[in-house]
Amino acid sequence: MSSAQCASEYCNQGWSEVLTHMSPYGYASFGVAFGLGLSVIGAAWGIWLTGSSLVGAAIKAPRIRSKNLISVIFCEATAIYGVIMAIILTNKIKAPETSGYYLEDGWDYNGYYYAGYGMFSAGLSVGLTNIASGISVGIAGSSCAIADAQDSSLFVKILIVEIFASALGIFGIIVGIIQSNACEFPTFAISNNYNN
Amino acid sequence: MATPHPTRGTGDLTTFNIQHGFAEALLRGMRSSFLKDADYHHLTQCETLDDVKLNLTETDYADVLADSNAMSPAAFQKVAVEKLVCEFQYLRTQTVEPLSTFMDFITFEYMIENVMLLLKGALGGRDINELLEQCHPLGMFKESTMRSIPTFENSARGYQDLYQTVLVDTPVGPYFAQFLMESASSRSGGSYNVLAEVEIEIIKSSLIKYWLEDFYNFTMKLGGHTAEIMGELLRVRADSNAINITLNSFGTALNEPAMRTSDRKRLYPGFGHLYPAGIANLSDVTDEEELGRALEPFPQYAAVWNIHASGHGDKTIDDAFYERDVQMLELAFESQFHFASFYAYVKLKEQEIRNLVWVSECILQQQKDEIQNFVQVFSQNAPWRK
Repeated sequence: MSSAQCASEYCNQGWSEVLTHMSPYGYASFGVAFGLGLSVIGAAWGIWLTGSSLVGAAIKAPRIRSKNLISVIFCEATAIYGVIMAIILTNKIKAPETSGYYLEDGWDYNGYYYAGYGMFSAGLSVGLTNIASGISVGIAGSSCAIADAQDSSLFVKILIVEIFASALGIFGIIVGIIQSNACEFPTFAISNNYNN
Repeated sequence: MATPHPTRGTGDLTTFNIQHGFAEALLRGMRSSFLKDADYHHLTQCETLDDVKLNLTETDYADVLADSNAMSPAAFQKVAVEKLVCEFQYLRTQTVEPLSTFMDFITFEYMIENVMLLLKGALGGRDINELLEQCHPLGMFKESTMRSIPTFENSARGYQDLYQTVLVDTPVGPYFAQFLMESASSRSGGSYNVLAEVEIEIIKSSLIKYWLEDFYNFTMKLGGHTAEIMGELLRVRADSNAINITLNSFGTALNEPAMRTSDRKRLYPGFGHLYPAGIANLSDVTDEEELGRALEPFPQYAAVWNIHASGHGDKTIDDAFYERDVQMLELAFESQFHFASFYAYVKLKEQEIRNLVWVSECILQQQKDEIQNFVQVFSQNAPWRK
């Protein structure tokens, strides 16, 4: 299927060109979307794992039903991490002050790309760790509900496991915040005397 | 055999709960209904059946015993089995595919037993109502179907009608079809007089074999944890079936040289730890000593066999198998995200009912020395927990 290399300057010269031509604003916004979306997927995944076991186990042992909502809240926390990160990232996306079609001369392209890629990766860091964290909290929470129904002394013990699973998500958000800290979109050109 | 192909997989650790999380958790909630060590302790201290009943009202059996005036081991058993069936059917209504097919597979065993009970009873000229009383409620067909089974004529023609009009529509019909087909191909002569010729026990063993193989195939197709855990349970089940068939054949026509290869060998399931090398050895054995030698290469069965062979204590080979089964079923029940726990639950409850009957029989007959000879379920004092 390989065809001859396109010689025209309007042709894409491979994927690297496609990717670098995507707007850093686009990257940053995708970072927000992935950070939030994947975190919510992780949280929802954990909640269904826990929730279905919780209602099932609560039929024979109704006393567990309120206590084990803690497991659901732990899963929910995963989504909250995503929301926090999404808010932080969204606040960092600033539109340029110039109104023209093209960016001004002397535009800080290094900072511009750095901000875009940095925020995209920060979003992915948070999103992917939160999927893992959400699922593992969910599995632990599901076992927690079932174990608590048989022996209430097990509840606190499994809860500690859940806390550790939940900590996985915190690792992601810490690194995500550090990653995005230095990302600052330039809003105006650094020096306007490039042509003078 | 057309093993139904599961419509979808069971899901793994991360996806099992989408479809089956509720039913599984519900089942695990029922673990609290098993009699506990203290309950067994109280039961074995009882002097009369009144005491037994009084003690049972402290347990999960309270509700079902409250409405009945059961006062004999058989009556306790009936009440307990009805409770189990009620719970099983409740669970069954909460399940979706492929778990519901899996649960149906569990009931097929009882259906085969019921049909065999009815056929045997009908040949012995027993009363239909009395027979229906004895049928296991887990393996019931529609009332009309159940009633029409024993009405067949005792002739080749009658058996043909029985299969074609009644059994073919039941879930266990394919097993009968397979049995008739295999019998017809191995014997010359018409296909439908085989039911009449072959002893009921042999038919039953064949049908159970087909059921086991079918169940095993289905389990393997499900894959995942279910295939791993349920596969192991069924392999051991197949092996103990093969050993029991061999053991019970001694002193019967099945042990004659001609029958050994033609008939007995066909009753051994086509999978398991013994299959194929061990089964090949089993098919040649003629007495207990040779059976012991055939089992020697398999440490797990050699251990069970030695309990039987040494003859000390009151343990029979059945008890040894029960003990092994209970241990395996408990382990199967206690791991999460697979279907084998449903099978384990039914089997462990059956063991509990056996225990209950044993204890109340001992009390009824004043045999207090024997009363501890049962395998407790989920006991903290079990040898494998120490």
